[in-house]
Amino acid sequence: MDGLTFEGITKQFGDLKALDNVSLSIRQGEIFSLLGPSGCGKTTLLRICAGFETPDSGRVLLNGEDITGLPANRRRVNTIFQNYALFPNMTLRANIAFGLQVAKVPKKEIADRVEAMLQLVQLEKHAHKRPNQISGGQKQRVAIARALVNRPQVLLLDEPLAALDLKLRQRMLVELGDIHDEVGTTFVYVTHDQGEAMGLSDRIAVLNHGVVEQVGTPPEIYEAPRSSFTAAFIGDTNFFNGRVCEIVDSEYCTVEIDGLEPRIRMFNDKNLRANVPVDLSIRPEKFSIHRQPPDSAQERNTLRGVVENVIYLGSHTKWWVRVSDEYLISVTSQHSRFLLDKDPIRWEEEVWISWHADDGYMLERYNESDESLVALPDTEVQTLEDEPE
Amino acid sequence: MIPPRVREWIISVPAMAWLVVFFLIPTLVIFVIAFKPATPMGGLGEGWTLDTWRELGNPNYPDIMMRTLRLSFYCTAACILIGLPFSYYMARAAEKLQRWLLMLVIIPFWTNFLIRVFAWKAVLHPEGPLKHLLVSLGAVPPDTMLLYNEGAVLLVMVYTYLPFAIMPLYASIEKFDFSLMEAAQDLGAGRVVFFSRVFLPGIRRGIQTAVLMVLIPALGSYVIPDILGGPTSEMLGNKIAQRAFADRNLPHAAALSALLCAGVMLLLIGWGLLARHRQKRGLT
Amino acid sequence: MKSSRLPATTVWLTLLFFYLPILVLVVNSFNAHKYGGSWDGFTLKWYVRLFEDRAVWHALGNSLVVALASTIVSTVLGTVAAYAMSRFASRLQKVQYGLIYMPLIVPDILMGMSLLLFFLSVGFELGLASICVAHITFCISYVAMVVFARLQDFDYSIMEAAYDLGADSRTAVLKVLLPALAPGIAAGALLAFTLSIDDFVITFFVSGPGSSTLPVHIYSMMKHSRFMPVINALSTLLLVVTFAAVGVSQYLTTKKGNGVK
Repeated sequence: MDGLTFEGITKQFGDLKALDNVSLSIRQGEIFSLLGPSGCGKTTLLRICAGFETPDSGRVLLNGEDITGLPANRRRVNTIFQNYALFPNMTLRANIAFGLQVAKVPKKEIADRVEAMLQLVQLEKHAHKRPNQISGGQKQRVAIARALVNRPQVLLLDEPLAALDLKLRQRMLVELGDIHDEVGTTFVYVTHDQGEAMGLSDRIAVLNHGVVEQVGTPPEIYEAPRSSFTAAFIGDTNFFNGRVCEIVDSEYCTVEIDGLEPRIRMFNDKNLRANVPVDLSIRPEKFSIHRQPPDSAQERNTLRGVVENVIYLGSHTKWWVRVSDEYLISVTSQHSRFLLDKDPIRWEEEVWISWHADDGYMLERYNESDESLVALPDTEVQTLEDEPE
Repeated sequence: MIPPRVREWIISVPAMAWLVVFFLIPTLVIFVIAFKPATPMGGLGEGWTLDTWRELGNPNYPDIMMRTLRLSFYCTAACILIGLPFSYYMARAAEKLQRWLLMLVIIPFWTNFLIRVFAWKAVLHPEGPLKHLLVSLGAVPPDTMLLYNEGAVLLVMVYTYLPFAIMPLYASIEKFDFSLMEAAQDLGAGRVVFFSRVFLPGIRRGIQTAVLMVLIPALGSYVIPDILGGPTSEMLGNKIAQRAFADRNLPHAAALSALLCAGVMLLLIGWGLLARHRQKRGLT
Repeated sequence: MKSSRLPATTVWLTLLFFYLPILVLVVNSFNAHKYGGSWDGFTLKWYVRLFEDRAVWHALGNSLVVALASTIVSTVLGTVAAYAMSRFASRLQKVQYGLIYMPLIVPDILMGMSLLLFFLSVGFELGLASICVAHITFCISYVAMVVFARLQDFDYSIMEAAYDLGADSRTAVLKVLLPALAPGIAAGALLAFTLSIDDFVITFFVSGPGSSTLPVHIYSMMKHSRFMPVINALSTLLLVVTFAAVGVSQYLTTKKGNGVK
């Protein structure tokens, strides 16, 4: 069985349950991201994989072999550390050669493999320098070379871009993807930045409080989150608390939202029965915003409101629309010809917002504690496009 | 309004003038007086002479020089060897324990140096507790002398200078980035490889400082061999004091001090060159 | 990597090494046996003898006078020097830094010897005054280094803020700079006082007849073994004073730490 498998990993630090019965299987050669807020257990899981922590229970399998108890220096797994952890007393070349020297690889082969790596990360010219003489992006590349030169079966990346500025981060992200294409090693990528995870990964596991919330491809995670946590953590969204009202047909139902006039028509992919309490999640870009009431169509929902705030964000504009005392809805819209708009929608105007019944999803509300997730402050819920701030 | 340049001079001059008059000039005076003739009355004669330097060829001196170097070297080595694991443990301990250990290392600094040396005299005394213990354990024959030999001097030198080694070692180990340990492990290194190829080079500066902090005062040891050593364990410091007070031969004392001073300066210059060399190579 | 047990063992053995002699000394100060070879019963007679020894008290008086005088002078000189070094980055300050750094490195015996020769050459009479001069010389360096370290993370913009709010330089220094530096200056002064009280080697070289400080007097007592138990008693008392001082300063700093920072 190829790939990396976690089976029922549990790890406790004092009172804190860092990981609670986590099982994941990562395929050979894929880029797999562990995504979640700080303290969700993603780094602990990575450290267990690297061999720096031992799980309280559960197993780690690499290509079918149990490596749970194997010390870090005997695993064919290498790590890119968050602060790179380059050896300051060695040149870049010596840094990269370190692992091969420890493994007593013949000198000639070391020289060849190090040279090839230097080429891969485009640092041939700097090989004689020391870590304190190069830039952050270059350090990042040395760290990658130092790990990959050992031909690990899995490369672990612990928030590798966190220390870089935005522009560099975006470039390194592309480079990481290119390097992966070249070497084909399994990448396990830990990050709290959904943008990085979405952009780079084949699949993502969303972690929260030591539990895997969802595993899926980036579109699956974004378009069909399975929990309100995932919905709120990935991208920006609007939540409504409601209750399933009436099953219209095999595909659609209507939902009653507390304090909101019209019933809302929703795609009922989970086949929920009437009276089930639900959270509706509708992403801001799914709305259309109009100055006149739009033509009513059966499959579109429409709400009337007043614009409370407008934020021009370059690539798009964001409106905050008050539709009831309780609900302030965020709506975004691209504007290909913004400057040509003679009369863009402004503050305090009366507007109608509408969306297609398929463009939202319902999440069954199991307990009230989920509410806290729904109330996630907007600043922590960044959309991909919101990044440049 | 006084111009800044003048203001700078006004506040810089007091301390500098004091140190020039009472530190720099006296140090130079040593080198001058070493070339003056001594008078039988313990004063300084007229004119200049090289007699004092010739007398340093006296067969006694090479012995004393060698002993001074040897004891200082052993003492430095012992302090580093003990100081390394000590500071490592301290730097890796929980913060509260770290604070406590730091206190425990500093407190001996705060107790009078003479008293600490004296305390050892009591411990090592022929009728003292350590001798009793060792004899009753059968570890040493009853006529063993624990005091007044090189061993006693070395032991107490280590005792006195160990904190001077621990402090800089601790400071550099505390700053050492232990994620490098995980990085080394991750790349397949075991404990020995990590220690020799990553850790020791990483705290090199701390080790160098510790060596200087122990070696320089050790070379100038005077009280320890004076109180705990015998005639066969005299060091350079003893000779300087002897020439200055017992024989009242000031040029002779000055010449010996000049030697010590030159030795210390050589060490410092060597250290400075090493630091500059490493800086050029891009090693902080 | 399993952690080795070597460091922990070293720590506890070293601490034993550090404190065993001190413990023996304290115990022996209450031991009726003269050399402390065996326990001959509890006694306070060494303390009685110590209190009857007037020379000890005279020496203690000398020590306090010297320490007080050299602390005051060196604190002023050292603080001003530290301020100059941190405020200005010129060649002059590099020279000043070198001058201040050197006395910290040079072995005591060299400093003692050089000052002795200097005083004899210029005809400066050896006595309390020469001891004070010597102590001020090495204390300046320690005070300057402690205050300088504090000034490294001092935010000079608060001085500019004071000027901005209309203060003249005198007010800015007195009301803003000095209060902000007070803990550093106090720490430097405390260090100077301790070093002065403690110093033996340099003092020994530059003291004259009748100007023995306490350490010099203790040294002369050490030369005669009949005084051994008396020194034990004296040392124990000094230890008590030291520990009390450490305790109080520790208490003060932690209290301040909680309140201010």
